[in-house]
Amino acid sequence: MFGVGLLKGLKFTLKNLTTEKPTTNYPDEPIKLPDRFRGVHKFYPEKCIVCNQCANICPTQCISLTGKKHPDPNVKKKIIDTYDINFELCILCDLCTEVCPTEAIVMTNNFELAAYSRDELFKDLQWLNENDENVRKENKP
Amino acid sequence: MMMQELLASQPGPVNFLIFFIQAVALLLIVLGFVTYVILAERKVLGFMQSRYGPNRVGGRLGLLQTFADILKLLVKEDTIPDKADKKLFILAPGFAIVPAVMVLAVLPFTEHFHFADIGIGLLYYFGIAGITTLGLLLGGWASNNKYSLLGGARAAAQMVSYEIPLVMSVLGIVLLTGSMNLIDIVEAQEKVWFVFTQPIAFIVFSIAAYAELNRVPFDLPESENELVAGFQTEYGGFRWAMFYLAEYIYAFAMSALAVVLFFGGWQPLFPFLDFIPGAVWFGLKFAILVFGLSWVRATWPRVRPDHLMEFAWKVLLPVALANIFLTAIAKELIQLF
Amino acid sequence: MLRTEEMQINIGPHHPSTHGVFRVLLTIDGEIITKAEPVIGYLHRGTEKLAEDLQYTQIIPYTDRMDYVSGMTNNYVFVHAVETLMGIEVPERAEYLRVLAMELNRIASHLVFWGTFLLDFGATTPYLVAFREREVVLNLLNELSGARMTFNYMRIGGVKWDAPPGWIEKVKEFVPYMREQLKTYDELATGNEIFQSRMKGVGTYTAEEALQYSLSGPNLRCTGVEWDLRKNEPYSVYDRFDFDIVTEQSGDVWARYLVRTREIEQSLRIIEQAIEQMPKDGPIMAKVPRVIKPPKGEVYVRIESPKGEIGCYIYSEGKNKPYRVKFRRPSFYNLQILPKILVGENISNLIPILAAVDIILGEVDG
Repeated sequence: MFGVGLLKGLKFTLKNLTTEKPTTNYPDEPIKLPDRFRGVHKFYPEKCIVCNQCANICPTQCISLTGKKHPDPNVKKKIIDTYDINFELCILCDLCTEVCPTEAIVMTNNFELAAYSRDELFKDLQWLNENDENVRKENKP
Repeated sequence: MMMQELLASQPGPVNFLIFFIQAVALLLIVLGFVTYVILAERKVLGFMQSRYGPNRVGGRLGLLQTFADILKLLVKEDTIPDKADKKLFILAPGFAIVPAVMVLAVLPFTEHFHFADIGIGLLYYFGIAGITTLGLLLGGWASNNKYSLLGGARAAAQMVSYEIPLVMSVLGIVLLTGSMNLIDIVEAQEKVWFVFTQPIAFIVFSIAAYAELNRVPFDLPESENELVAGFQTEYGGFRWAMFYLAEYIYAFAMSALAVVLFFGGWQPLFPFLDFIPGAVWFGLKFAILVFGLSWVRATWPRVRPDHLMEFAWKVLLPVALANIFLTAIAKELIQLF
Repeated sequence: MLRTEEMQINIGPHHPSTHGVFRVLLTIDGEIITKAEPVIGYLHRGTEKLAEDLQYTQIIPYTDRMDYVSGMTNNYVFVHAVETLMGIEVPERAEYLRVLAMELNRIASHLVFWGTFLLDFGATTPYLVAFREREVVLNLLNELSGARMTFNYMRIGGVKWDAPPGWIEKVKEFVPYMREQLKTYDELATGNEIFQSRMKGVGTYTAEEALQYSLSGPNLRCTGVEWDLRKNEPYSVYDRFDFDIVTEQSGDVWARYLVRTREIEQSLRIIEQAIEQMPKDGPIMAKVPRVIKPPKGEVYVRIESPKGEIGCYIYSEGKNKPYRVKFRRPSFYNLQILPKILVGENISNLIPILAAVDIILGEVDG
């Protein structure tokens, strides 16, 4: 009969009035994300061996880095000098952390990247080093 | 009884002042109602859709949300499109809102609280309410926007078509009471409400009323999924708010009218419950009807324009006419025995 | 006789219901469409051209962004093409994880369709109800891959992560939950007479026309053609599951709606069986060289994405970057029939017809 479906719909919405809400109180309470979540990077300068693999694998070429000679002339290996990620370009694809042999670049669960100026999205070594909240525990499969 | 005396008194500066203050008070009540009915609607919609609705401004209940919205609308830049017909563009919201406020005059809220006690209250209501269509059509035309034009044309077609079954449906009640005075109609329902004696009329009336109010499932004039916002597309800021306000004042007026016509106005559900004041009864019935508006909006989709017109002319109007016919026969038969 | 004129009206690119930045130039007579001319390209990112200058692994995150509501199938079609070209044998557990991810993603994609399609009729509740369930799926995929939509989960030769502890159980719990919800969907929308009156007989085409226009997926199956690559040309481990190809006969918007809604049920069946059959442990990555260099040659593979038949063609010159990559993006092909079915329809049918094609503009424009 015409109208039964309409009434069933009304019943559904009325029942829905009292169902439990799946919403979260987001800006007031931070969202708990699974550990694997890919967010803004954290960088450990002391671990970096300046192998350039992250910059090479990055699909959007958003990572730029330079190394310098180790202050101790007897040590041959280089240390990191500058390390910048341009978050205007970064697509958080996780490939840089996947190739990093020393886990110097890892991901955190922080995803909030809104900024008033595009310049603020250009994160340098110091910022990435200080970004040490919610760092991902497991970085390699 | 004070109201009756006032209505019958001589015109003069003092009486004018009293009326003026009362009118302002009513307007404030209506505006307060509109503010909170918008919030209530958003809350009901939210809860029916598994969310909370506004909860940021004014505590967990979002009590100040609508005020914040109004403030935003007030301070917005007033833009008029370059190619619009400026005079009509400015005039159109006025055409929409003035009749909306005018119809409030004849609505009897309780036995004592009403503004005009005119013999043709019902006719006055429909006559004045019809003017709003002109506002929507003008708004759609003056914007010089194709979406607006389509929306305005739809609004005019729809509202004119549905006005006929709307008026026809209440004629049965007029037949039964023998009066077009809304107070008389309420008093005629002392024993039994017209919703029970005139169920067909009530169904036709509700459907036509939803269409008149441009509410889901008949919100075609502003169907945002096809026409962006219909006749309101080019309106912004407080001009747009006027249209919005008119819509909600009509929701107020139409619900009040439905209570008066079908649910016995301020009459209690059972005679022994008459210790509860009439205003409470009126408010209660009224709130249920307003809730119905949001409930339907949360559930049903919009109908198609061609179905809409077919429905008005091929289904609603014949049913309404049949109802008048049946009522007339029933009345004659009752008088015979 | 009143002089009447046809009017040209632009729907889009900034329009609430074009599901992205899509534009149709309509010629209307009153409210009847006499001519429709779709204009696309507002979301063109040049994925195929970009891919020519990227290593094979680097292309995978780009595929996520074509059909962004079903990234897993896009991931899969690309890695599947490279694996076929290189002759890599993918470990079984990895294949099952891929199937689970793809079917979950298919459910998410069909839920997006269900919600947005009904939203286009002006009903707001189905949208939020569908997204409530989609949220559950996305959370599952988020736990698995680390992102909600741009998964970048599959790798050439396997998958990036194994299932986290407890994940399989969560998927198992999801299946009956979703079945329960599907029933309420019928209550809310499918049985609703206004919906039916708006969907039935709208935007009809025949099986022959559908084949001529190279339609695929639900857009083809709504005309009664039994064509589902998961059954007709099984890839991955799909030949081991028992499921039905959902078809409808009428070929209108209503049929497309029903096909998609019922396909959710079939996906749930596949998920159930996949969990049953899945090896408890084992490698998730085949032995692949560090630098992926497929041999010289070309390959074309096709799979069934939620939108239809998604294909990937790779021409390799034996270097670490492909010479040419071409994606057969189903939304683009499905959209081609639009000018034909729109003619003669009321303008208020435009949006449902467009929505029923279930286009994702990221995929249309590539």
